[in-house]
Amino acid sequence: MMSKFLWSFVVLVLLSSSTVPLVLGADSPDESKYIQVIKSSTELARWIDAKFAEAWNQSAISPPDVVDDATFLKRAYLDLSGSVPAVSEAREFLAYQGAYKRDTLIDQLLNDTRRPQKHAERTAAHWASLWRRMMVPGNSPEAQAAVGLEPWLKEQFSTNVPYDQMVRSLITAKNEPQTAMTVANARLGIRSGGPAMYFQVVGGKPESAASSVTRMFLGVRIGCAECHDHPFAEWKQKDFWGMAAFFSGIKNGVVGDLPDAKIRPETGTVDYEAMFLGGEKPRFENGKTSREILAEWMTSRNNTQFAATAVNRVWLHLIGRGLTDSVDDLDKPSTAEGQILDELSKKFIEAKFDLRWLIGGICKSQLYQRQCAATDESLAGVLPGLRIVKTLTPEQVFNSLEQALSLPVGSADGSARFNGLRDQLIARMNEAASNNPEEFRAGIPQTLLLMNGRITTEATDLDQSRTLRGVVEAPFLNSEDKLNTLYLAVFSRVPRTEEKQFLMDYIAKQPDDEHQKLAYAEIFWGLLNSPEFVLEK
Amino acid sequence: MSTLTRRDFVNFSLASAFGVSYSGWLPRMARAAAVAEGAEKHKAFILLWMAGGPSQTDTVDLKTDHPNGGPSKSIETSVPGIRISENLPGVAKQMKDMAIIRSLTTAEGDHDRATRLMLTGHRPGQEALNYPSIGSLFAKKLGDESSDLPAYVSIAPMRFGDVGGPGFLGPNYAPLVVSGDSNDPESRANLSIENLKAPVGVTKESMERRFEISKFLQDDFSKSAKGASTKSHTANFERARRMIETNAKGAFKLDEETAAIRDKYGRNRFGQGCLLARRLVERGVAFVEVTLEGWDTHADNFNAVKRNCETLDPAWSTLMSDLRDRGLLESTLIVWMGEFGRTPKINATTGRDHFPLAWSTVLGGGGVKGGQVIGSTGKAGTEVTERPVKIADLYATMCAGIGVSPDHENISPEGRPVPLVDRGGKVIEEIAAIPESEKKVKKNSQG
Repeated sequence: MMSKFLWSFVVLVLLSSSTVPLVLGADSPDESKYIQVIKSSTELARWIDAKFAEAWNQSAISPPDVVDDATFLKRAYLDLSGSVPAVSEAREFLAYQGAYKRDTLIDQLLNDTRRPQKHAERTAAHWASLWRRMMVPGNSPEAQAAVGLEPWLKEQFSTNVPYDQMVRSLITAKNEPQTAMTVANARLGIRSGGPAMYFQVVGGKPESAASSVTRMFLGVRIGCAECHDHPFAEWKQKDFWGMAAFFSGIKNGVVGDLPDAKIRPETGTVDYEAMFLGGEKPRFENGKTSREILAEWMTSRNNTQFAATAVNRVWLHLIGRGLTDSVDDLDKPSTAEGQILDELSKKFIEAKFDLRWLIGGICKSQLYQRQCAATDESLAGVLPGLRIVKTLTPEQVFNSLEQALSLPVGSADGSARFNGLRDQLIARMNEAASNNPEEFRAGIPQTLLLMNGRITTEATDLDQSRTLRGVVEAPFLNSEDKLNTLYLAVFSRVPRTEEKQFLMDYIAKQPDDEHQKLAYAEIFWGLLNSPEFVLEK
Repeated sequence: MSTLTRRDFVNFSLASAFGVSYSGWLPRMARAAAVAEGAEKHKAFILLWMAGGPSQTDTVDLKTDHPNGGPSKSIETSVPGIRISENLPGVAKQMKDMAIIRSLTTAEGDHDRATRLMLTGHRPGQEALNYPSIGSLFAKKLGDESSDLPAYVSIAPMRFGDVGGPGFLGPNYAPLVVSGDSNDPESRANLSIENLKAPVGVTKESMERRFEISKFLQDDFSKSAKGASTKSHTANFERARRMIETNAKGAFKLDEETAAIRDKYGRNRFGQGCLLARRLVERGVAFVEVTLEGWDTHADNFNAVKRNCETLDPAWSTLMSDLRDRGLLESTLIVWMGEFGRTPKINATTGRDHFPLAWSTVLGGGGVKGGQVIGSTGKAGTEVTERPVKIADLYATMCAGIGVSPDHENISPEGRPVPLVDRGGKVIEEIAAIPESEKKVKKNSQG
């Protein structure tokens, strides 16, 4: 049972606006650098809109309308900081009248480090989780251990390390002494590691390193060519083993380098020499290791494939679909969108691989803010560049539940983050997670967990739920205010007229106070189990 | 990517869901009861998975005339000339409907890799492909997607290896996992589906009102957010709702069974799991996996195998006779196997170690011609001396045993056809024949 003090506090939080005003304060660290990024990301947004306007104009297509503030708000929060906004944040944004409120929100979510929200930190954590999922996809024990990469990734994102520099650190990473490790998840016994952990969790072998690195950072899948020449693309076994030879110093999970960049397949009789993907021979000089040489080649300004892969991945996460069909197969030919991708990649290189500039620019564009295209029947036929309805990642679902339910977050108060409920939810959702935001793969176990699991059960129990009790017991709220607050907590919007009518009728027809309270609980359950909660439109 | 099949599935379940959804509970429950009475017969596959690798030498391929045989004694079975271990007296009586393969030969001796091999039919690491598990493969071939229950149910799974999932076939063929935390079938939440029941204190009426509100919100969202993901959410929500409302067609109510039959299966997790498997098959589930662990007998092999068989024998033999009594044996294939066999030579700790070279598996029911033994491992059991059977042959034979052509293919995410049965697999024709209707299956048929 929650103390009286606690729930009155929750009521206050649910009703008030946030304490930090919606302008970028002067006390951000390294302000001048961010202001530059912010300015030029607005220019990037205009460039993107001009490009697509041109493409649509040529095909005489009129794009869908720009979404309302509430839809934009939920998108921006989910896409950047990985959670729905707090009720107070939603109230404030919806009430604010400034002309540049959308751009300002994007800048704040990306850059604002101030307490209590610490937006930039949450955004860095969310992108670390996204990047980890892309680097080590799937639900194997190795993929679960890859969570240990997140602290390092988060550090890169929170200090906005240029993308090429971050990838060079990864490719050339070496085993660190055990003392440098901290714990990423004590309950699951997952240690956090430095960048070298990447090679361990993808398999700890030269072959696995070559497959993963080329797929993740060059957008080329050469894994098939490990055993036979690729059936559809051009890649041959020598391409695969040529890349693997750069990683010949990775053995049984020990991440090191050998003086000789050669490799012999387990069942083979000949050695393969290191060779860049595409056939170019590396020049070994100045005592550089083979991985240093590979990293230089990969991240060089001339290797547009590298920049294009990054841009396409960011695009996929923000828009729901890559600028080309598949983020893992950039070697396949493409068309108009491919051209925009090429130009955008060059701009990304010119911007010194600044991820915040790229993310900010896409989010500020009108393109990002348009209504979703219907993807009813075929994947084709959706206007290139238009958003589609996206499925939340397991982490986004948990973070949003934590926010919407006003769950405690400290380790001392038995919070879901620390008592195992978070791990349980994420593990269940991981069984049906996909790296393609277009796919909703949850099955019966996942659905039953959200319907009848402990988090939902406590959230809809009048004695235990913070949000629900805070709303239902508030003596100064009328029934419409109560309904609005529940909607804001879960959907970041207030109900539309017909929704209000249906639900207010339902509340009004209850015979007494107790039944009315129960009706709010039922509505809250309905909101949490609606597609609008686990999908992003 | 198998987009086409996924979309077909969604459309199909949407149609069936909306067709009956709002007609109230009672008619649906009545319908569920009718099905439960065995009105419909469909093909099903029950896998008895022996995690750890059971010793063939002390179960179905005894070497009583050789030092390798150890103390295990053999007994007569209902088929003259076939003898198996005294540890399996009940199974011995069912031999007429079972075929023992004593000449299985595989090449994986590590638990994880061998589990992957046996449960997917493909050697791990051969290709950059996430192979579907046997359950998902047969759920796709045999399942009825309009059913209130999922096609693949896994009871208390325990495996040495991360396998058992749908691989590239996707979540529609993922198993519904039944929890089995305790060996006591009566303990709380054991042999049940997590979160199937509404929380304590939430009435049936309140649950129904919650669903009505959800339905309203779903319709509202679907109008403005048209997409494949929205459709998947709706279809899946309906399936979960039907599971809750029909209480999974009552499949998990083991107390509906008589005390006598429950005792006969054995009052432990595996025994009651086999009983649950029968109840699931009766209600239209295509593939059920029941696991018995404890076979990794590196030490004290003979006592351990004896103990395991005290659980295995009543459950397996009662499953056979119970299915026969209900007229379901001919439509249900029962396969007993683990990830590998165990060394014929007894080690220093009276144990037996991993041995994939020459070992055994047993097929029963379905289209299996029972009462026979395939292959031999000679006097010492150290090698296959007659009729070697490879994993692809076993998969082909399981296909034939349940009336499916081994020539079916699935399409990988890269668009590559992946055969259900690995290259070169041949049906063991003494055991089963491919039905005429399946003989004309064309390759590239998407399974």
